[in-house]
Amino acid sequence: MVSDSIINASIPNVSKDFGKKKRANRSAKLKQCKLDARREQWLSQVKNKNCKEEMNVPVVVSSGGGGGGQFNGPVIETRKKVAKCCNDLKVQSPRVEEINHHDSDSESSPSNSPTSSISRENDSGTTYTGSSSSSTSSFSSRGGCFSGSISEEEDGNGDEDEDDGCLDDWEAAADALVGAPDANQGHYQNANLFPERETTVGLSSGAQHPSCENVDAQVEILKSDRVGILGRGSENGRAWRPDDAFRPQSLPNLEKQRSFPSGAERLQGFTNPWGRNTTPRVPTSCPICCEDLDLTDSSFLPCPCGFHLCLFCHKRILEADARCPGCRKEYASEPLEKEASVSGGSLTIRLARSCSMSCSRV
Amino acid sequence: MMMNSGSSSGGGGSSGGGRTSWPSTTSPSGKRIQKELKELDSHPPPLSSAGPIADSLNHWLATFLGPPGTPYEGGIFFLDILFPNEYPFKPPKVMFKTRIYHCNVDSSGNVNLDILKDGWSPALTISKVLLAIRSIFLNPDPYNALVPPIAHLYQVDRKRHDELAAAWTHRFAK
Repeated sequence: MVSDSIINASIPNVSKDFGKKKRANRSAKLKQCKLDARREQWLSQVKNKNCKEEMNVPVVVSSGGGGGGQFNGPVIETRKKVAKCCNDLKVQSPRVEEINHHDSDSESSPSNSPTSSISRENDSGTTYTGSSSSSTSSFSSRGGCFSGSISEEEDGNGDEDEDDGCLDDWEAAADALVGAPDANQGHYQNANLFPERETTVGLSSGAQHPSCENVDAQVEILKSDRVGILGRGSENGRAWRPDDAFRPQSLPNLEKQRSFPSGAERLQGFTNPWGRNTTPRVPTSCPICCEDLDLTDSSFLPCPCGFHLCLFCHKRILEADARCPGCRKEYASEPLEKEASVSGGSLTIRLARSCSMSCSRV
Repeated sequence: MMMNSGSSSGGGGSSGGGRTSWPSTTSPSGKRIQKELKELDSHPPPLSSAGPIADSLNHWLATFLGPPGTPYEGGIFFLDILFPNEYPFKPPKVMFKTRIYHCNVDSSGNVNLDILKDGWSPALTISKVLLAIRSIFLNPDPYNALVPPIAHLYQVDRKRHDELAAAWTHRFAK
């Protein structure tokens, strides 16, 4: 087992094994994040077999985390530092991770069926939300574990002897959250402050501890973890896409902040309804001939009444009675004066072309 | 005048093909007519329906149910709608196929409706035309009458006019 080697190894030699362990830990963490973040949608996508394999990983890692308890000196202090540097809102997320971690550790191994363990995780999530933010149900816990994924292993390492201080902070955080008017807002702040927190971890660990290479390596791994989690996050976004109505407000912000491509996708998704709103104002097709209006046509307003029509229909109407179809008034006198109707029509066409060229250039 | 030429050409039935002066304008009007057909399917006007006869999109048949509360109640009135090739720049030609006692509809079925003549706008659609026809069912316009005697009777003796109209409805439209 990996954990045995870690227990027997001394601290300086551990660094490589530690890296391995961290890597294993990271994969386990990824799996857990996935589990927490996706829940039912994820279940529907992944087959039972895969699920079992992934459920086995946290068991190995938990022993590794317990073995790593002897290594917890710097890590714990880092965590303390983090807890002090960050405000109360941020502290809640490690705690969530801790809860989820323990649940999956202790109970997922006897139960091979993925659904039962996941339901248990759901339970832990709900207890968490029940204590901290009573208004938002499962999504707040989802957002919490999503943002607090880094500190999970710190807690996993240090929870043996350092739980009390964390618990105090956690309770303070819970109080603050309950006092807060909006739980979603709290998560949003949490998400916003997250990068700062990462930098504090790096700085404090590098400045204070002799085994700074290890910690730095750990921070590096944590960052890479973050990247991996980001990938998952965008996946989650895709998985949630159909259920956009149920998404908490904090999640799009998270994604927008962290991963640009998915944020851009999401933005595009948001602009679509906006585009739909504009369609009544400027029709997409000419109301006369029902051909699609291009950019030139849609910016072409021959009558002050605002009736849109395509240039061809306009020219044709000019050749006939030259009255606006919308208000039945004659088209403005200038084109009529210039007219000999054909030249007037061609003039407008030329103007419109230049307009469209400039638009496309912009 | 325009209406007269329309009625004479409309009598030919397939006048759309008979005219050769607009050879290539069928496709834009076709697109427009198809769109109107879809619109009519999704939002049919009250007590009426319309659709193309046979293969030609330019030749429609509309059906009106006499509005309740009028002497035309209970009658079913058929109307021919002919879309000229230059539609929608020119109004459709609407003809009553069912005889009706109405001051705005003459004995050959021509309808005296402003929006079917000078009041036409390319922005109008056939469903609006159907609405306008329904409105003259409810409120005949004796001041723009095609059949002055009926208009006179309508103004002078409304009761007698309604009796006659109901009798015609019973006789021709049931």
